Amino acid sequence: MDAIVSWLTSLFPHMAAPIARLIVHLVYAAILSFVAPVVVVVAFTYMERKVIARIQDRVGPNRAGPLGLLQGFADAVKMLTKEDITPVGADRIVYNLAPGLAVVGTILVYAVLPVAPGVIGADLNIGILYVVAVGGFGMLAAVMAGWSSNNKYALLSAFRVVAQLIAYEIPMVIAIIMVVLAAGSMQMGQIIDAQNVPFLFTLPVAFFIFFVATIAEIGRSPFDLLEAESEIVAGFHVEYSGFKFALFFIGEYMHLFVGAGLGTTLFLGGWRGPGASEATILGVLLGFVYFLVKTVFLIFLMMWVRGTFPRIRIDHLLDFGWKFLVPVGLLALVAVALVLKLPFLSSSVLKWVGMLVANIVVVVVSLTAVSFAARRSRSVALRGVAGTER
Amino acid sequence: MSDTTFEKLRAQFPDAVLDVSEFRGDTTATITRETFLDVARFLRDEPDLQYDLLVDLTSIDRRDLGIEPRFVTVYELYSIPKNHSARLKVPLPWDNSTEMPQCPSVAAIWPTGNWHEREVYDLMGIGFTGHPWLHRILMPENWVGHPLRKDYPLGGEPVYFSSDRDNPRFAHLGKPIMEGPSYPSKLPDDVDSETHLVINVGPQHPATHGVLRLAVELDGERIVSVNPDIGYLHSGFEKTGENKRYEKFIPYTDRMDYLAAMNNNLAYVLTVEKLLEVEIPPRAQYIRVILAELQRIASHLFWIATHAHDVSGTIHSLLMYALRERERILDIFEMFCGARLTTSGMSVGGLRQDIPGAFPDAVRSFVSEFWKRLQDYEAMLTRNPIWLSRLKGVGILRAEDAVALGVTGPMLRAGGVPFDLRKAQPYSSYDHFDFDIPTATEADSYARYQVRMREMEQSLRIVEQAVNRLPEGPFCTDDRKVAPPPRSEIDLSMESLIHHFKLYTEGYKPPVGEVYGMAENPKGILGFFLVSDGTAIPYRLHVRGPSFVNLQATDLMARGHLLSDLITIIGTIDVVLGDVDR
Repeated sequence: MDAIVSWLTSLFPHMAAPIARLIVHLVYAAILSFVAPVVVVVAFTYMERKVIARIQDRVGPNRAGPLGLLQGFADAVKMLTKEDITPVGADRIVYNLAPGLAVVGTILVYAVLPVAPGVIGADLNIGILYVVAVGGFGMLAAVMAGWSSNNKYALLSAFRVVAQLIAYEIPMVIAIIMVVLAAGSMQMGQIIDAQNVPFLFTLPVAFFIFFVATIAEIGRSPFDLLEAESEIVAGFHVEYSGFKFALFFIGEYMHLFVGAGLGTTLFLGGWRGPGASEATILGVLLGFVYFLVKTVFLIFLMMWVRGTFPRIRIDHLLDFGWKFLVPVGLLALVAVALVLKLPFLSSSVLKWVGMLVANIVVVVVSLTAVSFAARRSRSVALRGVAGTER
Repeated sequence: MSDTTFEKLRAQFPDAVLDVSEFRGDTTATITRETFLDVARFLRDEPDLQYDLLVDLTSIDRRDLGIEPRFVTVYELYSIPKNHSARLKVPLPWDNSTEMPQCPSVAAIWPTGNWHEREVYDLMGIGFTGHPWLHRILMPENWVGHPLRKDYPLGGEPVYFSSDRDNPRFAHLGKPIMEGPSYPSKLPDDVDSETHLVINVGPQHPATHGVLRLAVELDGERIVSVNPDIGYLHSGFEKTGENKRYEKFIPYTDRMDYLAAMNNNLAYVLTVEKLLEVEIPPRAQYIRVILAELQRIASHLFWIATHAHDVSGTIHSLLMYALRERERILDIFEMFCGARLTTSGMSVGGLRQDIPGAFPDAVRSFVSEFWKRLQDYEAMLTRNPIWLSRLKGVGILRAEDAVALGVTGPMLRAGGVPFDLRKAQPYSSYDHFDFDIPTATEADSYARYQVRMREMEQSLRIVEQAVNRLPEGPFCTDDRKVAPPPRSEIDLSMESLIHHFKLYTEGYKPPVGEVYGMAENPKGILGFFLVSDGTAIPYRLHVRGPSFVNLQATDLMARGHLLSDLITIIGTIDVVLGDVDR
């Protein structure tokens, strides 16, 4: 951001630096809250539909505009022209508040997401804590929507949201703590700086837990229980129509982007890559491109999972969260903490190797434990995880 | 086989059996109403007889035949261990003092009788004493009259084919014809809607495969009871069939289980052929087998597609993959008869036309490719941990429960009962082919999944053998009273012209009698009950839809499971609502 500010002050020599900074921040905030949702939703719905279509041996959208690129805009126009319905007996205030909260909750996270070198809304020194704090808003919106709709399906969905939120927020936080331990800071910028080797390679267990928990928190397949259309029709947003439904939709795709962006920042080295630096505009742009490429790759992974995995059942979901992810996460956390405090691992290279070894040990130990437990238990889910089922 | 049955029966109950008759290999015994329950229990429990499967339960209104008493209930019994069948008829004397004739209920002896008796009560107006919950099942609760009675007026509602807004005749169009309040269909008394959450899954629900409504009683997400409410798609096929010539009913059979039109055609034409006693040339029999087995694969493909879709959500790719393969089968059907879904491909006496020259090669190329595709599906699902955890142990239907509930087809075989009519009573030259009956023992959804996957392989084997050994010869019988003469003959032979004319103006007239025909459909046994009064129009036509019977097991299978499992269970029943409601 400093590069942009200095570029702006060089362009207008009479402008004072604080004013230039203010302008840059305001513009960035406007982009985040007005442009980003539209771009993100249009781009990723298009991408999702194309990717899923290719996985399913179809063509995907190809009618609206060249290569179907305008499909997202056509959908947006359709959404806006739909009738707005409030069901009888709905709790009006909560009902109308929920869609807005779904979007605002994710926009708040954008503020601490470093999308390019120096380009970050606010590089808080407790950045990642802030993410955890406001990240639950999306789920809260789902609970509110499910409760206030006066619909039995929506209510069932709200039950599931609560259970799922708690079961997956905790492993996610555990994974984040590992990163914080390794980076030695909660500040996003410093977490990125610490990744001379991306944490994906030194903390694979943490990455796996984070990835799964993110999918669960966004509520995407195979964890899309809260809107499982074949069971509870559309879950919490079954009664919403028109623009309010569109807001949930926007919220979901922005959340997808934020989730993948956080994964990129925490585990893939964020915007880091050859030539990316804060010093020049070109370096900033290059960093932005690296960030986008990594984020889109993670999103692609999520879409791939979505296209090929059956939906997990609510009790198995909780089993998997509480009985597998949380213990494994805690084990890995303790292992990583111990490794980092070992006196003879003085150089950073040794620490990385130590963390990787610790992670591998954790994987081996936990899989052995699970397969041992699975042999004695009749839980199909456990056996599935252990791979002992035929 | 049935002779010994009735000898034993006569020895045991000398007064019960009024009459024993035989027609086309079916033996029918007429039993008095008073002794009927004892007879039924004896037939089920006697070790030499073991009639464990009540295939069908229906009734005849004999008003126009002039036989007293007017109403009679008909029970088609089958013994899986002994492989023999028998039919019981129970005349119901009715002196008009009660609202409707009464018959003892067999729901306690064969639980499958429950829904059958509700159907008879609904459509024919026969009461069943001792029935657990006798309510209408196909027609709305507030319906007046019983449609299958012969005195029920036809064409009660005027249907206009053009609408002229200015014409006062059409003034009532577009206006409600019933009073405003809707009639909530009744729930059984033991449903506790005060302490439990009762939700309607359906009739508009993404996972119910049509207009099926399940009133689900939930304790949290755990299922307390499931109450299926059907009849939304009831189209009165039986009544229609009783007002059409035999041949004209074939297109209606397409629309019952619309995913297995060929199998429905086959079951129906076999029944009519049994009534007529015509000989079908081997070529036609082989082609029928090819078509029926391809249709079985197509039906199972649709099942795996929708099942995966239900268990995973709309995005799951198997939906598209399986439909892509099904499309190739439909292309083959199109090549054969021009239609894809509702084929009406078979006719009484053989086939409508011979297969085109490219047909065997198209089938061969499909078969060779499909072996590989099947392995792809297995790779996606068979060992997928989530798929396993969603299906294993879900919806267990033990063999004894399945038989008692009349459940047939893959659902029965997944419980370990190797009962398949293609082996037990081979029809249409199924005994010429080498194939196995896949079974499983776990009786859960995963077992049913595996049985159906194996069945597709076996069907492929049958198709392969049939297409490679396809005999030459005529494609339909040369009995000119049943099948029309070839076009070339009509120009040369006066006799052929007359046959053709008579066939298309009057149809064929089967002898007086009644037959029951069964065939193994992808979903279970499809049965047709035909009563002929000697005219070209069936006097009574009854259909036993396999989905109708199988759906009855939903409650038993779903109790205690989670709501998500209900979706798995519906998927694993492989229900087609056209088949349920008919």
